[in-house]
Amino acid sequence: LVKGQESYRKVPRQSFALIAREKGDKVADHNDPNAVNSIFSDIDVSAADVYDLFGFSGDEPGDEKVVIALTFASVPRAGVLDSDILYRVLLDAAPRIVWPEGEGYTLEALLKFTQGVKDKYLGNFRPAEIRVRVDESQRAMVEFFHFPGAGSFSTTLETNKVQEVRTPDGYMLKAFIGGRDDAFFNDLTGFFRSINYAPQFYHVPHTMTEARELPIPKTLLELEGNDLFNYNPAEPLHGHGMKKDLPPGPWTWKGNAFRKDEKGNFRFVYSGQDAQAGKNVNAIILEVPFSFITRSPGAHRIVNTWAESWVAKAAKKVETIPDHPLLLAQPWAALDALVQDQELRHYKRVDTVGQPFADAALSEREDSRQLGANNFWLAPHFVLRLAHLGWGFGPSITALGLKCSFDHDNSPVSVHKTYSNIVAAFPRVKKTLFQPLRMPDDSWNRKGLKIALRRPFEIFVPNVCAIDMDTTGTWPFGRRPEDQVATRFLSMFLDMEAELNGRKYHIEMLNDQALWDATPIEPKTPPNPLKNDKPFLATFPYLTEPSETP
Amino acid sequence: MTRLSDYAMELGQIEKDIAMLEGMALVPPVSGEKAAQYVYRLYHRATLTGNLGQLPEILASVDRALRLIGLQEDICLLKAKVHFALHRLREAREDLRVAPLLPQRLEARTLLADIDYEEGRYEDARRSYENLVAESNTWDNLARLAHFRAKMGDFEGADQLYADAQDEITAKQMRAFSWVELQRGLLDLTRGRFGDAKAHYDRADRAYSGYWLVSKHLADLFAAEENLEGAAVRYEAILLQVPSPEVKEKLGRIFCSLGRSQAAERCFKEALSAYLDSAEREEVHYYHHLVDFFVEVRGKPQEAVQWARKDLELRNNYATAAALAWVEYCSGEFTRASHTIARALSSGVAEPGLLAKAAEIYHRVGRHSEAHELEHRANSINPRNRRVHVH
Repeated sequence: LVKGQESYRKVPRQSFALIAREKGDKVADHNDPNAVNSIFSDIDVSAADVYDLFGFSGDEPGDEKVVIALTFASVPRAGVLDSDILYRVLLDAAPRIVWPEGEGYTLEALLKFTQGVKDKYLGNFRPAEIRVRVDESQRAMVEFFHFPGAGSFSTTLETNKVQEVRTPDGYMLKAFIGGRDDAFFNDLTGFFRSINYAPQFYHVPHTMTEARELPIPKTLLELEGNDLFNYNPAEPLHGHGMKKDLPPGPWTWKGNAFRKDEKGNFRFVYSGQDAQAGKNVNAIILEVPFSFITRSPGAHRIVNTWAESWVAKAAKKVETIPDHPLLLAQPWAALDALVQDQELRHYKRVDTVGQPFADAALSEREDSRQLGANNFWLAPHFVLRLAHLGWGFGPSITALGLKCSFDHDNSPVSVHKTYSNIVAAFPRVKKTLFQPLRMPDDSWNRKGLKIALRRPFEIFVPNVCAIDMDTTGTWPFGRRPEDQVATRFLSMFLDMEAELNGRKYHIEMLNDQALWDATPIEPKTPPNPLKNDKPFLATFPYLTEPSETP
Repeated sequence: MTRLSDYAMELGQIEKDIAMLEGMALVPPVSGEKAAQYVYRLYHRATLTGNLGQLPEILASVDRALRLIGLQEDICLLKAKVHFALHRLREAREDLRVAPLLPQRLEARTLLADIDYEEGRYEDARRSYENLVAESNTWDNLARLAHFRAKMGDFEGADQLYADAQDEITAKQMRAFSWVELQRGLLDLTRGRFGDAKAHYDRADRAYSGYWLVSKHLADLFAAEENLEGAAVRYEAILLQVPSPEVKEKLGRIFCSLGRSQAAERCFKEALSAYLDSAEREEVHYYHHLVDFFVEVRGKPQEAVQWARKDLELRNNYATAAALAWVEYCSGEFTRASHTIARALSSGVAEPGLLAKAAEIYHRVGRHSEAHELEHRANSINPRNRRVHVH
């Protein structure tokens, strides 16, 4: 990401950068903490901006292994980590949840499910944890907490190198901590065009919080007369790094149709171009024996994982609190819970990542909703947000001749509609929330087991990457680097019971070039690129080397 | 190679940004984003270096930006902040009204609370600070409320709020942390706890190295401890970094105490000349320095009175009222002074310096019992009961 540019899988933390509204001088006789005020119309990317969390069962033969890759902003640069930031990767193995058939798919059932999740995550819940930070010399301090056979221990590792860690109970882990190519491939500008997100296209003064997602219908097809966001061939870079001043409002749309060219083709808001091509990240990549995570690998087939970034408090830096002596004195050392808690007291949580889009698309990227796994209380908000998105995306899907899972009353064009009442919104989104997301084929189900297809409500609450160890771990049974999750996310709005050319809809359908070739639309492309700009590695650490950057 | 100080590194980055934007940010066709970046950077540099003399020029750049791009909120906000720093409170309030939605913004409401405070509407300011903290528990809002509580005499509560503010500050905001340490040190200095103040100032220095503001606080502390040589060395070093007439005046006072009257007089002349030049340019932010200068340095309260009255007209608060009262007292207008100082006391502010001055005035007009009570309050806050001019 370049300075000021935002990503929709994870938007740079305004909370963090706002933290960077640095202040602190005294002018004349005023007590004015903000007197020395850094610019706040641009927001720097921070190493605390966690981007993606990949999780899948390892492909290599032998004992079952779990691969987890956390990517985050390459600040100060790829291969060099920020020593003020601490990263936590949390893991919890659990049985596969089967939705009781008698429960039905009602609002009450959804809220009951949410309550169950809440009871678990707010209860006496102690997930296993791998904690990573680097010191000034870029030596990585890696701590392990609450692993069933090994308890808690730590080690130090070199960065930018695949290394092995032998645990106290004899397991061997692989770890890579350092710079990599950004594994995310997506059309960033297209997504922001689809939701009329002004800061991607316009200079929006930071004070103007109402001028981010403008009150124009969200859509996959350009709207006739939506001059603020429609592609203008005379300004091809607009939204691709070039920003204009936001004209005075009102920023509404008065039209009543999708835009069509002289040949009758719709104009796609997406271009299929990879906005992340050539960009780097820093990453923590781990390969962990499954039996190291749980004592019951036969029963606990799901590994729920999520990650957090924490920034050191200023007091820690000024006091230069020494690292725990055990960390420095021994290659690996036993730690106890007390050490864990004491350490975290010196940090503030900044960002979280579990599912792609759980924050960005479904939580409107508001900082206060960065709750990590503990997002269960947002379930009602998800319903409202999904209904809002559905009124935008739904009619554009229907206009393309596809069946939509969202009930938009056959609206001929996208509508800007917001809800405050979950009871009113729920019937609209019921199918979108509860329909099983059909996979394109059975390759995901490696062992041919009876595994239920995932449904959106259970994918996003709690906000974790739930890796099913009996599958390949492709999204939504985990997340593999090669998954085009941005497009799969959009497929939630397709009616999975419908058929196209004799075949049921599935989550890869919008990635099929043939579909677009047969659709009256320009450009004829899947919304997002089908592959990363650089091929992934077949073996650990899977993510490829970083690009050379000036 | 010697590592640059934190201050030097930050200043260097600002200079670099300004150099990059200069010559294009305010030249048509103007980008609102670039214009905002540029004028904010100018302001950032002026306030970081303590060079208030640059503020009028920045105001001109801000006006130019607004002419070129229209009433952009963030630039209107900056204009208000510059006016506030220049003690132009009425103008600051007007700036915040210019863009229709700006007064509702958190940043604007914060500044409006500060304006209320400076205009002596303490109850409004208190309510606003408390609401702001309830709404947005940021370190700077906590620091504002802490400052308010300290002024009202709740030093323990203030220190706790400053500590809470520090808990919100991250390793990426070390200057902010340093600034709050200075405020905590000031709390201790006000209470005569010099050792504790020093510990805070040293911590501020470790948090953000090379900052003249930390040096200034340390020099003030040395002066309070009567380590005059130490204070002089610090003030001289600061003046190499920051062209501040008030620091020059302080150095003059130290030289005076050291018996170096010629050097002192040079400092006084330069400081006075800067104050008067500023006033001649119709700037108002040195009025209170002129008051102190004529009363305490020159012993000419009759020359101070015009500045004290002008300042009070602009900012009707406890500090300007107390300053005028003291001028009146020093001019022999004791009854008038007792009425004026009563206005200052009615604010509820409980600074030892204010209480001690009020006690002296009340003694002079025969209100001995009130004077004793004020002395007692001043002494209970600061047992050393020294009048330390530390701002």
